Amino acid sequence: MKVFSRILLTGGGTAGHVNPALAIGRAIGDDRSTYLFVGVRGRAEAVVVPKAGLPMNYVRASAFPGSRPSLSWLPFLFNLSVGTLKSIAIVTRFSPDIIVGTGGFASAPVMLAAALLRRLGLCRAGLYVHEQNAAPGRLNLLVGRLADRVFLSFPDTLAAFPVNGVLSGYPVRRQIQTVDHDTARASLDFAVPAGRLVVFAFGGSQGARTINRAMVDALGSLLPYKDRVFIIHGTGLADSGGSYDAGRDTAARLDARYSEAERRAIETFYVARPFFHDIERVYGVTGLAVVRGGAGTLNELASLGLPAIVIPKVNLPGEHQVMNARALERAGGAIVLYEETRLEDGRAVEELDGRVLASAIVHLLDDAPRLSAMSLASRQFLQHDAIEVIRTTLQEEDAGKVVSGAQAGAIAGVPPLLSPAALLPRLERAWAAHRSSYRVEIEIPARGDRTYYVSRATSLLSDGRWELRNLGVKLVGLLQARDKLPLVLALFRDRRPAAWYKRLLGGDFEQVGFIRRNAVTAIGRLAVVTPDVEAALLVGISDPYYEVRSETARVVAVLEGGLSQAGRSALVAGLVTLLTDRWLEVVAASADTLGRIGGEHDARPVLLALESHRYWVVRAAALRGLASLVERGCAGDLAELEHHLRRFVLTATDFRPEFAIRTSYARVIDAIQTRRGSTS
Amino acid sequence: MIHLFGDLLEGGFRAWSILRLLDYLSVRAIGAAMTAFILTVVIMPRFIWYLHRRGLVDQTRNTGVSSAFDKAGTPVMGGAVMVGCVLAACLLWCDPTSRYVWAVLAGMVWFALIGLMDDLAKWRARSGNRGMSEPRKLALQGACAALFVAWLASPWTPFPPREAATFYVPFVKHALFSSPFGYLPIVLLFVMLVGNAVNITDGLDGLAIVPSALAVSVLGVFAYIMGNAIWSHYFFLPLLPGVGELIVFCAAFAGAGIGFLWFNAYPAQIFMGDAGSLAIGGCLAILSVLVKQEVLFLLLGGLFIAEAVTSQVQDKIGIKWLGRRLFYRAPLHHQMQHTGLAETKVVIRLWIVSLILALASIATIKLR
Repeated sequence: MKVFSRILLTGGGTAGHVNPALAIGRAIGDDRSTYLFVGVRGRAEAVVVPKAGLPMNYVRASAFPGSRPSLSWLPFLFNLSVGTLKSIAIVTRFSPDIIVGTGGFASAPVMLAAALLRRLGLCRAGLYVHEQNAAPGRLNLLVGRLADRVFLSFPDTLAAFPVNGVLSGYPVRRQIQTVDHDTARASLDFAVPAGRLVVFAFGGSQGARTINRAMVDALGSLLPYKDRVFIIHGTGLADSGGSYDAGRDTAARLDARYSEAERRAIETFYVARPFFHDIERVYGVTGLAVVRGGAGTLNELASLGLPAIVIPKVNLPGEHQVMNARALERAGGAIVLYEETRLEDGRAVEELDGRVLASAIVHLLDDAPRLSAMSLASRQFLQHDAIEVIRTTLQEEDAGKVVSGAQAGAIAGVPPLLSPAALLPRLERAWAAHRSSYRVEIEIPARGDRTYYVSRATSLLSDGRWELRNLGVKLVGLLQARDKLPLVLALFRDRRPAAWYKRLLGGDFEQVGFIRRNAVTAIGRLAVVTPDVEAALLVGISDPYYEVRSETARVVAVLEGGLSQAGRSALVAGLVTLLTDRWLEVVAASADTLGRIGGEHDARPVLLALESHRYWVVRAAALRGLASLVERGCAGDLAELEHHLRRFVLTATDFRPEFAIRTSYARVIDAIQTRRGSTS
Repeated sequence: MIHLFGDLLEGGFRAWSILRLLDYLSVRAIGAAMTAFILTVVIMPRFIWYLHRRGLVDQTRNTGVSSAFDKAGTPVMGGAVMVGCVLAACLLWCDPTSRYVWAVLAGMVWFALIGLMDDLAKWRARSGNRGMSEPRKLALQGACAALFVAWLASPWTPFPPREAATFYVPFVKHALFSSPFGYLPIVLLFVMLVGNAVNITDGLDGLAIVPSALAVSVLGVFAYIMGNAIWSHYFFLPLLPGVGELIVFCAAFAGAGIGFLWFNAYPAQIFMGDAGSLAIGGCLAILSVLVKQEVLFLLLGGLFIAEAVTSQVQDKIGIKWLGRRLFYRAPLHHQMQHTGLAETKVVIRLWIVSLILALASIATIKLR
């Protein structure tokens, strides 16, 4: 078996890249091999690698500053260039047999140096890349094409590397072997009662605030099931430098939320520890895991066949945790819950509602067949002995055999998730095309996607920038997220004034005119009428910005079927006041709506009063309103109405042109369509 | 050209003394106007059909007003023909030694080329919005403005040395100041701002061309007066020898403009496109500078300024910063349409406004 004697490893910047590099390195070499790990000072690899006993060289690199050119590109490019130059020296001096990179910005200098040297013919080493996530990282995308092989953890990634991608899986830590259930139970320092579903929740060595808080909140809802579950909660070590002290925060929350009696009941099915030294013993008793979406974690669970509830961290580059979670969910091995962002004391905080987590656990509790199906699915999805695959591939490469790229069959990749900004035009076009028959389920069939998009849109609602809040409001309406209506109403009711200099130039509130207008539109699209909605519409009628008033008038007509009696009269009275508005758009919209919801005594007289309004647009709207009244049979004496109508001023300053040639063109096309339609 | 021809002949043949008429600016101006008009009217139909055959038509412009949908499929780039005809008429009728004329022609052609590139980019992208990028357009215009300014400051400047860097304001007899450092930056900014203002105005059939023709004619009158020793003294305007030649250019421009209007009136058979509007903008800017009436342009070209200002205020201050609309719509002509005026009515009302502004500008000659 081929063993490499000089092995250069690189990867890091963030923690998830280092362990796979070490695992692969150990697998392809032996005791006599010489290793070198290249990383960035002060990052995860600087801590982990020396502890593992490998020699380490440091280069300069910094994280990618974002795709739009800005000032932060200068230090980035400087660091990258200096790092690459130093890497060229390192590679030349070390002259490795093989170079393995696992991604992350710390590996950029070495990978670029290696690619360059190979191109110049100065380096003969094989260049290999390992990608841990379903959605390939930016660096790996760039360098992967230059590498000999790219080893992938998820089948979904094959689409990104059609030529040189090889599905290997994720090289899990050697120590994670399946531990026998009884041995495991005996070795734990707390008692795990028999016959219960053991749920193990953890968020990495430093804990995950969302998971910890959600878990504590869920305990209340799980009390009725205290004889059927047992929860092991790994809260995480206190982060000495950071602001989140997992243990203390969790304990405090527990004390605050639950009474003395409740806590005693909770203790019968819940135990919390900051850290588990031999995590595989806990895995041995676990039936269901609650985790983040990191590639390493998911792969570990899959290799053990553990079903999981995944709560991915959102807003990471490439949304890689979300993509990993979705990939596993699609294969049936996991359930994904999305955290949402909201403002707490002015800071954006992610959270997951404990009741959502509790209900997900309870559903699985009652559904044992589902649990075992999930277990099987996840084992099948990610069960590869990555180390073996990698070794075999390298051997075959060495022997000159060409390993084909798209292995493991052509598995269709997960359709990419759109950013909120990209999703908006799609949904708006669909809305414009279908109007009343629009259903978000048709536009976005996958329920998991819809949940994801709704959580993103909701997070946008509390962003500091108004453009993003605006985007969030539009999306909430288009996604028909009816349970988020209170948030939209709260946004609409927020009347905090804008900065004084903005107010001088025409601004009014922090929630700018566009946001309020789009909030009203969203209320119309959500099509739910409650007393709160009616109150909001009344507020909208007296809003300072004209577009809000006209949009409110329009939406009242849309929602008219659900209005209460009292609400209807109040709104009609309000709309009548709008008829003397300064802005003609508002008057016209009110006239239209009054025709749809008013009657003989309140709407008819005011509409007739518009007979000699300055603007023909308004007069036309009044006539449309009167037509609606007549059609609904609420117009009273028709002969009298006709008499009044004669006084309407009908001269106008605009017209709709008809181009005879275009009409004839349309007629021919229509005729062709009909002909084609009837003969087919 | 004819001027030179006339020179040659007159010297040789007494009998052709009628050609002495060609010495007169007014004769040549009228000649240029007629030539430009006839050339435009004759060439334009062929050009329109050529554009139809090549499919070089307007991509749908979604301005949100119903009549806009009827504009899809109308050929663009009529400005190219206009510019060409003005060039031809000038080459025929202008005195080829006049540096003023060459300056305006060069500026017009440069801006026209920028506009042409933008039009072609929009056509290739099949979208009315995504043509050449804003920064690129501004950079190219800036380059022209910079060259122009450099030339004004150089020894080849057409102005007499005393007047090279003077800055005049309407109603005031004497120059406000005379300093290259103050004057040249003003000119630079001016050329760039005006260059784009006409572009914004070109949104309805016939809207941009008539005010432009009026503005150019008024500037031609100024040029005529300033080039004439007696009249410039009488009206207290600076004497710039040779600038009178510009009236021939202005006349040619007006002629070509009217020829264009023949086809552009509602419903339009052809649009001027960015080629035309940028060319006009460049022309107006350079003309204003050459007759030292930069500030007067705020009055004379008030329509263009109003359109540009409303558009920028609505977009930059309202929509992008405050998060609300300040007017119903921008630019000015869309606002008028939104309140229920038909396109033709808007166009004619704005023509009336620009006529009033032009007459007011002429009045400033006397009111000093």
